[in-house]
Amino acid sequence: MAYPTPLLQNDTLSHGTVECSDMVTTRRFLTEFLGLDIHRPVKEAQYMYKGGPWTVVCVRVDGGEAKDQTQDNLFKLSVNSAAEVDAAHEAALRHAEEYGIRKVEPPRDADGLRSFRLQDLNFTWWEISNVALSHYDALFDRGDVAH
Amino acid sequence: MNVQTAPQARAPHVNTATLICGTLVSRDLKRVRHMLEGAFGLQCVQPEPGLLLARDRGFEQGGPKRGQPYWVLEIREVEEIAVEQEMLNHWGMAAPSEAAVDEAYAKLNAAKAEYGIARVQKPRFRNGSYACYFIDEDSNWWELEYRSPDLTYEVLRAKGDLHHD
Repeated sequence: MAYPTPLLQNDTLSHGTVECSDMVTTRRFLTEFLGLDIHRPVKEAQYMYKGGPWTVVCVRVDGGEAKDQTQDNLFKLSVNSAAEVDAAHEAALRHAEEYGIRKVEPPRDADGLRSFRLQDLNFTWWEISNVALSHYDALFDRGDVAH
Repeated sequence: MNVQTAPQARAPHVNTATLICGTLVSRDLKRVRHMLEGAFGLQCVQPEPGLLLARDRGFEQGGPKRGQPYWVLEIREVEEIAVEQEMLNHWGMAAPSEAAVDEAYAKLNAAKAEYGIARVQKPRFRNGSYACYFIDEDSNWWELEYRSPDLTYEVLRAKGDLHHD
């Protein structure tokens, strides 16, 4: 595929960011509950990743709470099956108080995928879904749908 | 809220395979698509009305990166931006050099209107990288950063924790 030269020299999408108020409790939620890999290279931030080169940088907010995001700005985690979505949902309900999970929405089905959303202790929304990269591959391969 | 802090050794509650996608919103998908493709060099597709997907180039059928993991940005069209984003909520891209960051600053400043960029900040060194931040007309923040070879995300991952509370 021949692409036009972009304005910027961009090697790759490298990272996104979230805010947190407390590194320790946030790390426990991200690793023990969400199953993400974490490392802390600097005092002010810890970096999370899973299954690929992409990183989400969790930045500590000094002297206040993290921004209350809406579901317009969330991160999606892929699990292997609809059953695992349901298991994660049950775990979210069961362990909400333990991990400071603020809201847990019911699972829903759309476009052959099952997912649910939760808002964490830092007001960040997460979607746990059985979406896989093959789903996105198919959408990109199909191209724009006329409307 | 009772949040326990004592660590426990067990399998995580969610069997996450991949951190796969981030979402954001825009009031004009046509405008943001032009920015993502024309300015940032991403590949976009509109699979349904009101939804735009973006990823790095090279993952298309027959492409050099096909089969490798990639990150997806999912952009939905909205009437209004409910929560304006700030610098601590941004999307980052990797530049090949400091000169590329400087070039981006100059080019984006000159082409703000065309690409729907509201503001471009001067590049500066911060937290181990040389970066330029810019804000689009939907208040989404973007960063183009250069990291020296000893401070890339991959190298830092391999080093593990360097700080503890």
